[in-house]
Amino acid sequence: MAKVQPAIISCGFCEHASKRSDVNMAELVNEAVEDCLKKAGSIEWKDIDCVINGNMPAFEGANMPELWMTDHMAAKNKPLLRVTTGGTTGGSVCIAGYYAVASGLYDTVLAVAFEQQSCGNTTVGLSSVALGEISIFPALGYDYDRLKRNLGAGAAIGIASYQAMNYMRRSKATEEDLARVVVQNRRNAAKNWWTHLKMPTITIDDVLDTPYISYPLRFGMVCPASDGACAMLFTTEEKAKQIADIPVYVNGVASYSNETAIVGIDCAGAGQVDPCEQLGAVKSAEIAYGQAGISFPNKEIDYAEVYSPFPNQELMWVERVGLFEENKAPEAYRNGVSAFNGELPINCSGGVNSTNAIGASAMERPAEAALQIMGKAGNQVPKTVHTALGHGWGGAINFITHVVMSDEPQRKWR
Amino acid sequence: MLEEDQEIFITKGMVRADFDFWVGLVMDKFYDGLQEKKFIGTKCSKCGKVFLPPRNRCGDCFVKAEEFVDLPETGILKNFTVTTYKITERKIRKVKKDIMVGLVQVDGADTAMLVPIVNTNPDNLKEGMKVSVVWAKKLKGDPQDIAGFEPVGDG
Repeated sequence: MAKVQPAIISCGFCEHASKRSDVNMAELVNEAVEDCLKKAGSIEWKDIDCVINGNMPAFEGANMPELWMTDHMAAKNKPLLRVTTGGTTGGSVCIAGYYAVASGLYDTVLAVAFEQQSCGNTTVGLSSVALGEISIFPALGYDYDRLKRNLGAGAAIGIASYQAMNYMRRSKATEEDLARVVVQNRRNAAKNWWTHLKMPTITIDDVLDTPYISYPLRFGMVCPASDGACAMLFTTEEKAKQIADIPVYVNGVASYSNETAIVGIDCAGAGQVDPCEQLGAVKSAEIAYGQAGISFPNKEIDYAEVYSPFPNQELMWVERVGLFEENKAPEAYRNGVSAFNGELPINCSGGVNSTNAIGASAMERPAEAALQIMGKAGNQVPKTVHTALGHGWGGAINFITHVVMSDEPQRKWR
Repeated sequence: MLEEDQEIFITKGMVRADFDFWVGLVMDKFYDGLQEKKFIGTKCSKCGKVFLPPRNRCGDCFVKAEEFVDLPETGILKNFTVTTYKITERKIRKVKKDIMVGLVQVDGADTAMLVPIVNTNPDNLKEGMKVSVVWAKKLKGDPQDIAGFEPVGDG
């Protein structure tokens, strides 16, 4: 249990694009930090007690980038920590920010996550992630050429395809259902200022017209590779009440490391037979809801941001984190429950499907969820949001983060 | 532990990784300046500190440092070292001629640059001596344009 009740008072973004060649990595991060501090009211950079940052390890070919950008993150002469956990880096950085305040060690903490994917080679980055798993194959006498040939089906889209197939079989979702998720995300992204793929007029047919990359996922369904950064400012309940109009209290955080995905015999994604089961997401959601005192997430959560680079994952996650009953998400999406003006809006920022600066993506989920509670989101939903969820996913399908937040502090008796 | 007669399975493979670095608009200006044999730094709008190589943000004041200033070609050798080994070569490491590397603070700048020291020998080097830039024969607008710094006058 937290010693101190942490609260989010401000979230900042920089503009995301496929190539932000006008800025270097440090300047990119600085844009998000400035945006965050600008919206933080009376908090100045000198009031920040600790800075936590993170991105994917060496995707840009720059190890220890925090050394380079200390000045740009207002971190000079302050404690600076780096956290990196693959795709959930952003979520982990956010949780580390929470921990720093909750422990009572620091009053005001800045959490920064970023990625400048145009600098590097994401596939090479990913293969270094997968290397630990792949390296066992030569040891088993597996022919290297065959391994290389099959690698294409083992990258992110590979894992997602098996997940999508699995999900479609379970829930009877069609390709049209997947396309519907994409359309919702891209149209939402068009209304949010910092997103990458803005497509205000996209239709389901447009998505279904694009070629397959790996069945059942088409080119139009896949997330882009973006450059971008996100920053969040955490502080104590007492300070937040003085500074922010609507402080967002973080009431439950959980991260869960699932069974590692031992790449199957043909790099087939996962040693888990069912990549759609996601026990880790179910368990960590339970833990986070438990901390926040939420018994019926489908009724008590007003808004959710889930980490879904691929549309099938959005349908899967909303079920696994308890927002919809199992296999019922496609129907709910058909009925517009998850839409911008629906009962339970999901990913109104445009989601990872529209903007994916990998290291930042999992932080942009809780950040956007917090902004919806504050009423300051780029694409603010019409309904009043009291309680929201930010979810992150990463690693080779095995890391999960959850952040549950509300406009009310955690009730002590719980 | 591996026994001596035990066979090891070795596999070789190549992974190609291309990386680009966006230097940003401020450093872009710096490299453009090098091509014209000029040092261009930036100045903090609050404390007036001058950065060379330039950066767009002062860490002490956390304000913009985007005012460009032209700096002279001369500076002071703040610190140096002499090495007899090449770190970039894997096999032949010993070099014929000692390599001198130093931290040079260009006049008017508050930061120092790590650069090669040329046209002198290690015995002549001392901290605080005056140095001047030696430009590369072919200027391309990249860090290689600074061939090094050489002592001027009596130092």
